Amino acid sequence: MKRLLIVLALLTLVLGMALPAGAQDAPAGEWLGTWPYAAPGTHHLNGFAAGGLNDNLGLVYRTFVHLSPAYYLWGTNEYVGLLAESWGFVDDNAAYEFTIKEGAMWSDGSPVTSQDVVDTFDIGRILNWSQWSFLTSVEAVDDSTVRFNFTEGGASLNAERQILKEYVSPSATYGELAAQARQLVADGATSESESWTALSTAIAEFRPDVLLATGPYTYTLDDVGEAFMTLRWQPNSLYSGSVNFGTLKIWAGETEVTTPLVLSGELAHSTNVYPPATIESFAAEGIRLVTTPRGYGPALLFNFTVPPFDNVLVRQAMAHAINREQSALLTNGLGASGTVYLSGILDSIAPNVLSQETLDSMNRYEYNLEGAAALMEEAGYARNADGKWADAEGNTISVEYTFPADFADFSAAARDATAQLNEFGFDITERALPWQEAAAAIRASDFQLSVWSWGAGSPFAFANMNNPVRRWTTALAEDQPGLQLNIREFDYNGETVDLNDLILNVSTGLDTAAQQERAGYLATLLNSQMLYIPLNEMLSVEPLNEAAIAGGPADGDAIYANPSNDHFIIWLILNGTLSDARVQ
Amino acid sequence: MSAIPADPPHATKAHADAAPTLGQRLRRITRSYLFRVLLSGLITIWAVTTFTFVLIRQMPGNPVDIKIDQMMQTQNLTYEEALRAAATLFNFDPDRPILLQYTDFWSDLLRGDLGASITRTGVSVSSIILRYLPWTLFCVGLSLLVSFSLGILIGLAMGYWRGSWFDNLMTTIASILSGLPDYIIGLLIIVIFGVQLRWFDIGSVRGGVDPTIEAGFTLEYIGSIISFATMPVLIYVLSTIGTWILSMKSSTLSTLGEDYIAVAKARGLSEQRILMGYIGRNAMLPLITRLAISVGLVVSGTVIIEEMFQYPGLGRNLFIAIAGRDYTTMQGIFLVITIAVVFSNIFADFVIGWLDPRVRVADGETAQ
Repeated sequence: MKRLLIVLALLTLVLGMALPAGAQDAPAGEWLGTWPYAAPGTHHLNGFAAGGLNDNLGLVYRTFVHLSPAYYLWGTNEYVGLLAESWGFVDDNAAYEFTIKEGAMWSDGSPVTSQDVVDTFDIGRILNWSQWSFLTSVEAVDDSTVRFNFTEGGASLNAERQILKEYVSPSATYGELAAQARQLVADGATSESESWTALSTAIAEFRPDVLLATGPYTYTLDDVGEAFMTLRWQPNSLYSGSVNFGTLKIWAGETEVTTPLVLSGELAHSTNVYPPATIESFAAEGIRLVTTPRGYGPALLFNFTVPPFDNVLVRQAMAHAINREQSALLTNGLGASGTVYLSGILDSIAPNVLSQETLDSMNRYEYNLEGAAALMEEAGYARNADGKWADAEGNTISVEYTFPADFADFSAAARDATAQLNEFGFDITERALPWQEAAAAIRASDFQLSVWSWGAGSPFAFANMNNPVRRWTTALAEDQPGLQLNIREFDYNGETVDLNDLILNVSTGLDTAAQQERAGYLATLLNSQMLYIPLNEMLSVEPLNEAAIAGGPADGDAIYANPSNDHFIIWLILNGTLSDARVQ
Repeated sequence: MSAIPADPPHATKAHADAAPTLGQRLRRITRSYLFRVLLSGLITIWAVTTFTFVLIRQMPGNPVDIKIDQMMQTQNLTYEEALRAAATLFNFDPDRPILLQYTDFWSDLLRGDLGASITRTGVSVSSIILRYLPWTLFCVGLSLLVSFSLGILIGLAMGYWRGSWFDNLMTTIASILSGLPDYIIGLLIIVIFGVQLRWFDIGSVRGGVDPTIEAGFTLEYIGSIISFATMPVLIYVLSTIGTWILSMKSSTLSTLGEDYIAVAKARGLSEQRILMGYIGRNAMLPLITRLAISVGLVVSGTVIIEEMFQYPGLGRNLFIAIAGRDYTTMQGIFLVITIAVVFSNIFADFVIGWLDPRVRVADGETAQ
């Protein structure tokens, strides 16, 4: 009997060792999330084309099928490797390299190699990916090491982020297209060539039959329904053993469609922007709400050819005349905060980018109607009999404030600013437009006052300061006048500065002290010139129903410093922090 | 005016033996009512299609511009960089002259090709329409059938037994229902019965069919289709039946005053025969045109209801296409809607002629 038991134990051990990793069971939990994916019939699995994986899984769910090399933790300002074991600048910053983790596999059991990364970026070159503005080539050093060669001066922390954040696609699926891309480049074709266009069309129209995944989940087109799609656990990922969900159920639809699902408990987590009243009803149902930075806020934009907005004193007066806390409350309830520093960088990022000295020097434009009135008088305006500000010739400030009617948050911000400024003595009329029309109006300079975003979900000064000053001026096409602000020859402190170049270069290089200095100069300029009024900074208030999802860290945890484009659930699901509360 | 034949009977007889020449046949065809109605319909379709073609291109923002805005915002690209990247994603050149786009459209259309979706690369518009149209025809068609039939019957009864408790009760209900938009009714049902009372799982009524059931002519699959259509049908019926009821009641009341009703009663005909054969049939006539338009609009679906329940209909696709400025898909769906409305109106003309002996169609003349 004893011998028999020993034989059985040995047999079990041998069988256990012989079985592939795939023999492990899928976790029992089910994640209940949402994303507005494309419906069956138009849904496809191409990671490089419109209507494909990027659109269908978005910034939150794409990582679960295609790991990026690394994931950025905003709270501690560090990367954690997902697909990459190590990474860094090499050869005196002429290139960047990362090494793929040992044991990284595709869902079919084949290893992830550096060729997969090279192919991904070579296809991206045909699609004019922004990384190719600082890269000259991507090459495989060996099976697991990839080298990214920079253009002259192309090395930057921003470049590092764009390399480490890119999803790696499989050569088994896209290798043939990548080979054509390399041949095209070797033949000297450019993005203007017909052959280039033909290949980009071929890439866009390519439809893979199977989705090979490096992440712990994959799916087929049969898993895509009208109401929800399902990502299914697969055993060959580096993270297959750590995740606690066997399936990720993703409900289709936007805010209005997902609201009742959240209330009924059938949807546990959502990134949709819910109006304040809806947020309150979630709280009333006992649903936990998690707050994270959204990575932008609404800004009041000026058309600089419309007087008196070309006058810095008037712009400063307007900044004083708007109560930004009220603006935040009316924009998105608890999901927004009044801007504090007005430095051109989101308040949630500014302390990491600017020195304390710079932050302390920022004019905070406190809500101060008397101070605002003094500035208006200094600008040559006086209140008329109706209490409206008028210039020496009696002209009141009668303008239109254009805003996108279909963006509830931006609409609210614009309407509140209108009301506050009218109360102060302006004569502003609201003009609601469909968002596409409102954006087109800014590009065409067919507006007087408008609202659009400021800041960016990026840890670097460039992306923040680029939006909206450069985005709506020199970043536009030549026939698009935008804000009508000459930022290439901008008068500041008695000299003419090239604000365009200052913004472009603010985050270049790897010298963080120099970057901080350049960012400080720009922050002071933007703060004093008030080229736009950053009304508030938006937060993402996301339901995380603890009746269905367990393990969410307490409020204030560093992971919640991550904005939407490095969403916290990516890391918390992959590392097994979150689990299904119903199966514990 | 009564119907008058174009040729007197004796003239018809006199020409009976002589075979008509080709010219005479052509003239007869071109003068025929059917030909003129069809020609008019085709011209209407062309005009509406052309108008729509131009109009949707006048909407601010094209598919590429929308993508450019998103890329500039999220990737900090310049307009030109974003334009290059966006152009590779879509099979669309916003700078191509509109006249050339128009000729492309018609040359494709005359070959039966509605083109490819701009925002959903590699997907033909025809495939989108063919995939989603049956769902809409089933759901909205069934809803219209139920709504119209019930509305007619209830309205008829209310008119006939006017002043009764039934009339008063139904007038109140119908007035309320006709004043409520479909999305309010839908939201109320979801919030009250789904969220508050938890009578059903909200997620279980979304979509067109249970995706776990294999497609086929099986009881299970058909049952699932009917089950998923229940909620959209219910909401559509509730949101439209009030208008049918009130219109039918009003029409019934005016019919009741006609002499032939008094004559029918004097002849001692049964109440049922008077109600259905005399009152109902004649009271329904004014509603036929409206029904025809509603039938035509069936194909456009009910956008908000379809979106609310993620129902796989054409209306939801039209909504997505408009939001993304997918010109080709919008054109294709608008074309189908136009054809449906035009031909259902033509059909209505013939039905009215059939229902009402006073309206005759004879040799190219409609005499009333």
